[in-house]
Amino acid sequence: MMERRKFLGLGLAAVALVPASLSAVDFRKEKPDAFTAHNVADSIKALYGDIKPEANENLTVKAPDIASNGGAIPVTIKSSLDLKSLAIFQDANPESAVAVFTIPAGAIVNYMTKIKMKGSGEITIIAEGKDGKFYKASKKLEVALGGCEG
Amino acid sequence: MGNMKIKAKVKGDTLKCKVQAKHIMLPYDAAKKKGVDANFITHIIGKIGDRVVYEASTSQFLSKNPIFKFEAKAEGVKKGDKLEMTWTDLSGKTVTEAKKVKGL
Repeated sequence: MMERRKFLGLGLAAVALVPASLSAVDFRKEKPDAFTAHNVADSIKALYGDIKPEANENLTVKAPDIASNGGAIPVTIKSSLDLKSLAIFQDANPESAVAVFTIPAGAIVNYMTKIKMKGSGEITIIAEGKDGKFYKASKKLEVALGGCEG
Repeated sequence: MGNMKIKAKVKGDTLKCKVQAKHIMLPYDAAKKKGVDANFITHIIGKIGDRVVYEASTSQFLSKNPIFKFEAKAEGVKKGDKLEMTWTDLSGKTVTEAKKVKGL
């Protein structure tokens, strides 16, 4: 009985929030530490806890080997795994986290976005599978002209 | 209007979307140098009707006028449906724009 009541309460709270956030998970609010951590390991820990991600051939990240402009580096992430969330980290900027994606049902993971990097470094992708496992992919690249000056 | 460029197209059974948000994406470092407040998109969400097709919590390290390209299964997307993108930035500004899905 108690649980049912709790559940109803949750439902009401959720309804009250609509339409500000439908099924939205704002990782910045939920895990603020992940966005202020200064290195990739700390950032991953803040976001997902103590995990041991494995490399998987079904998770790939594509970025140029040498980026002429660090202000806009295209990063493409592809995966055929059944994922819950996905995060991009890099180790060139003062803070590590770049973006955390929530993968909605029916999404096809073929995401591209442009990121900024201050200098050469490594991009790390961590993916959280629906099976509870974690996967990772990474890509080292050189940046000719740093792009953190806006 | 004019804060976002949205393209959404159904090809076969895939919905392909490309969104460019017009935003300065000023990180803390650069903002300090300029003596202004940092500002960047912190959250972006894409919806077709009630279905969420894309969602990301983002940081200061996306490029200026960031591009988001993504795909989803086209199942259930009907003619006349619109892709609605909403972003929120650090200053609390929220912008929502919608565009009709093409290719149906």
